[in-house]
Amino acid sequence: MQYIDRILDRELKKGSAELLVLALVEHRARHGYEISQVIEEQSEGAVRFRVASLYPLLYRLEKRGWITGRWVEKTGQRRRRYYRITAQGRKVLARQRSGWERFVAAVNRIAEA
Amino acid sequence: MRNWKAEVRTRLINVDIPATRLASVVEEVGEHLEDRFRHLVTTGLSEDDADRVVVQELNESDVLSREVTQLSGTSNGEAPVLGAGGRGRWIDAIRQDVRYGFRTLRRTPGFTIVAAVTLSLGIGASSAIFTVANTVMFRPLPFTDSQRLMRLWESNPEKGWPTFSASHPNFLDWRAQNQSFERLAAQSSAGFTLTSQAGAEIVRALTVSADFLPVLGVTTALGRNFQADEDRPGGHTTVAILTHDFWQRKFGGNAAVLGTSVTLDSRPFDIVGVLPPSFQWGNRTDLLVPLAPDPARSRSDHRLLVIGRLAAAKSIDEARAEMNGIASRLAQQFPDSNRGWSVRISTFYDWIVPEQTRKAIVIFMGAVGLVLLIACGNVASLMLARAASREKEISIRAALGASRLRLITQLLAEAMLVALVAGVLGLLIAWGGTRLLTAAGPAVGLPRLDELSIDVTVFGFAAGIAVLSGVLFGLVPALHASRAQVNNSLKETARGTTDSGSQQRLRSALIVAQVALSVSLLIGAGLLVRSFRQLQQVDPGFALDRLATMRLILPRTTFNTEVKQRAFYDRLLPAVGALPGVQSVATSSGVPLSGGNTGTELDIPGRPIARGVPSSADWRLVSPGYFKAMNIPLRGRDFDDRDVGTPETPAAPVTIISESMARRYWPGEDPIGRPVILRSFGQKPHTIIGVAGDVHSFGLDTDVGPMVYGSAQAYPGWNPMSLVVRSADDPLSHVAAIRAAIREIDPTVPIFDMRALDDLLNDSFGSRRFNMYLLGCFAAAAAVLSCVGLFGVLAYLVTQRTRDIGIRLALGAGRRDVISMIVGRGMTLALSGAAIGLVVAAAAARVMKSLLFSVSPWDPLTFASVPLLLCLVALIACYVPAQRASRVDPLVALRAE
Repeated sequence: MQYIDRILDRELKKGSAELLVLALVEHRARHGYEISQVIEEQSEGAVRFRVASLYPLLYRLEKRGWITGRWVEKTGQRRRRYYRITAQGRKVLARQRSGWERFVAAVNRIAEA
Repeated sequence: MRNWKAEVRTRLINVDIPATRLASVVEEVGEHLEDRFRHLVTTGLSEDDADRVVVQELNESDVLSREVTQLSGTSNGEAPVLGAGGRGRWIDAIRQDVRYGFRTLRRTPGFTIVAAVTLSLGIGASSAIFTVANTVMFRPLPFTDSQRLMRLWESNPEKGWPTFSASHPNFLDWRAQNQSFERLAAQSSAGFTLTSQAGAEIVRALTVSADFLPVLGVTTALGRNFQADEDRPGGHTTVAILTHDFWQRKFGGNAAVLGTSVTLDSRPFDIVGVLPPSFQWGNRTDLLVPLAPDPARSRSDHRLLVIGRLAAAKSIDEARAEMNGIASRLAQQFPDSNRGWSVRISTFYDWIVPEQTRKAIVIFMGAVGLVLLIACGNVASLMLARAASREKEISIRAALGASRLRLITQLLAEAMLVALVAGVLGLLIAWGGTRLLTAAGPAVGLPRLDELSIDVTVFGFAAGIAVLSGVLFGLVPALHASRAQVNNSLKETARGTTDSGSQQRLRSALIVAQVALSVSLLIGAGLLVRSFRQLQQVDPGFALDRLATMRLILPRTTFNTEVKQRAFYDRLLPAVGALPGVQSVATSSGVPLSGGNTGTELDIPGRPIARGVPSSADWRLVSPGYFKAMNIPLRGRDFDDRDVGTPETPAAPVTIISESMARRYWPGEDPIGRPVILRSFGQKPHTIIGVAGDVHSFGLDTDVGPMVYGSAQAYPGWNPMSLVVRSADDPLSHVAAIRAAIREIDPTVPIFDMRALDDLLNDSFGSRRFNMYLLGCFAAAAAVLSCVGLFGVLAYLVTQRTRDIGIRLALGAGRRDVISMIVGRGMTLALSGAAIGLVVAAAAARVMKSLLFSVSPWDPLTFASVPLLLCLVALIACYVPAQRASRVDPLVALRAE
């Protein structure tokens, strides 16, 4: 039982993490630190990504071709790697969104029943 | 604050992914940690606590490294910057290099602009000169199958006439007897007075044989060519073909002109054709009329320009052999006129683009090549300096696994970008340069300038040299920098601006080479300047100031007897002489420096001319008062009314000869009173009545040959005559009054070609002045570039050595010691360069010979003064940085590290 808990938790987190990142870079490119900041702020600290898990996640999404990273230089600032969503990423995001909604709705139905 | 990137790097030390990717990860994650650390500090944590938290967060490092390991094989996106490139994906790599190079260059606009502008000067000058070479030397002449077109001369080397015009009967015999040419054609020129409702004007005509246009491969745009019947004496020779320009100007391009006529010298000429706009022959031409070569004319009267189109199966050598066979048969048949005369043939190309011109262009190509090399040297030096300050970056990339090749291509990509920008700028400069050349026009003294244009070849050339110079100035610094000792560099302070000794040596060597090249260029330019000065000091033999010349033509139809012609001039000279401001006036059949020549063979009764001494002289017809008006010294007497006879009692023919003629044939004697036979004026001996000073008729740089003067009054039929007018003030201000005076005598006599003699002299300097300015510009550019280079190296040295200098000053060295140390270093380079340059210049001087005038290619003055001058400039270039070094504050300098 404990084991199933752990797996569920991990998969849940993993699925939602991908969704979160994709959603954050859907409308504008952001760099890694910004992504972690926004997640932490908007979830009011409920969700936090450590550096050690955030970047591997970003790289994985990038490898799958859902987001692309690019070094951008702005005057007066050091260069940063910005991520933006790809066309493929958008499809995945749409799918994940509706899947998530269905999942949440289902969980809610069961939990409230 | 901890070095977070180093922290990340240690944790990923065993991860096996491409180094570029790894570097990117290290940078990105390192930055994240830095941001996180700063954020924590701003929230109120102490630095120690913040550090601890961040390290803790990072300590899930096995996750990081495990996850990152899975990236192995990803070659996703732009693997930037640091380290080695994707395996096998070299196109990607190059793209990255270019993009990175672009970024780096944008970050250092100062370097980029200086490098690109320096290089663009070299590329621009080279491309401009190449445009000239391409147009003048390489592009085919604008005639169909132009390599079969030949120019033929009569030649009499013994008389000093290697190339001479042909006579009518000789041309006819050549044409009839040769097998070598598809066609032979002859051309002469004539001026006509065109009368129309608009008044009288001079038109310039080419008189051509009917084969002229077919030889050139030109067909009329409208109408037809001359026919055989129109091209023989007694035929219907009053026909004309109009040039395109003239047709447009006079007839508004109306095609209905065919069948109408133009009135030339009061005779109607039927217009039978119009030439295409592409037709080009000599100077401005208005129309063509038939030559009608006349077998009855004298064989000694040489006035035809002969051209031919080689028959398909014949070579130029075969043609030469055959034509000289014909010439020697003619010499046997007509020994009086033809003995000693042969035929000389050259291709159109050799005729139009003479060897002298080609030599000059080659010299200029060499000179701009040197300028380009110097520019490359400067940019290479800049790149080296930059590479030195980027050693740190390069070492890190090497440490992260970038291969040497990759580092080199990266640096080369930057060089190529600079070269590309310079190439574009250079083409613009070349375009501007060729526009200037075209605008300068004939003053430049180059043939085919009107054809000058930038074409694909020039484009290719500019691109080629841009790439080549990019490699040239990029490769050495790249090779050098990529060899940088990784360890050494990493050990050094983070500022990473120390120049290694070998780099200094390389830059010094570059400076020595640059100075050497500049010195040799400057010596070349100096020799030309000296030649020009020599030339300007040549006494033309007459006084040029306030002297104007203009030409006039007596229409043949109204002035059809000698009496009428003489009467005109007898009225003209006093009338013009009486004009206010006019001091003296005379006429001549040819004014010095205005081009054109007339020559005669001569005999001296009772004294055979020794073998090997040319038996010929140039001749001019001049009116009384000519020598006074021109200010030519005259011994003996001038022509006067005594020399004019009447048909019943002809006067005894007399002549005035030049000093050099007197020296050649009557050395050590007084020739006045002696007889001489001038063949062009018949067999009657002329008595010498005076000896006039020598005059440079064809330019100050040509030798003065023997000249005989005949009386224009005694031989009044020459057309057109030139009027020379010396006035008290600006000679051209009297043109209107002179024109009015002539109109009063006869309104049908047109005058044209008004020129001040000063201007004619200036024009005769044209190509020399152009050569001088051009080489001078190149040399100046070279000198400036190399002194800037020298300045740069020293300034950089001072920056490098600030600490060292500070220590010396702190230890008690005087400021003078510092100055002399830096200046000494710089001048050692400059002097070595100058010495090498002298040797190079001495070795190369021979090629300059053809461009020089009465200056030895090893002129000691030039060879001594030029290096001295450059060293003086170099001294200034050294002194400024030295001065700066001496002002180093020891304390600041010591704190600097």
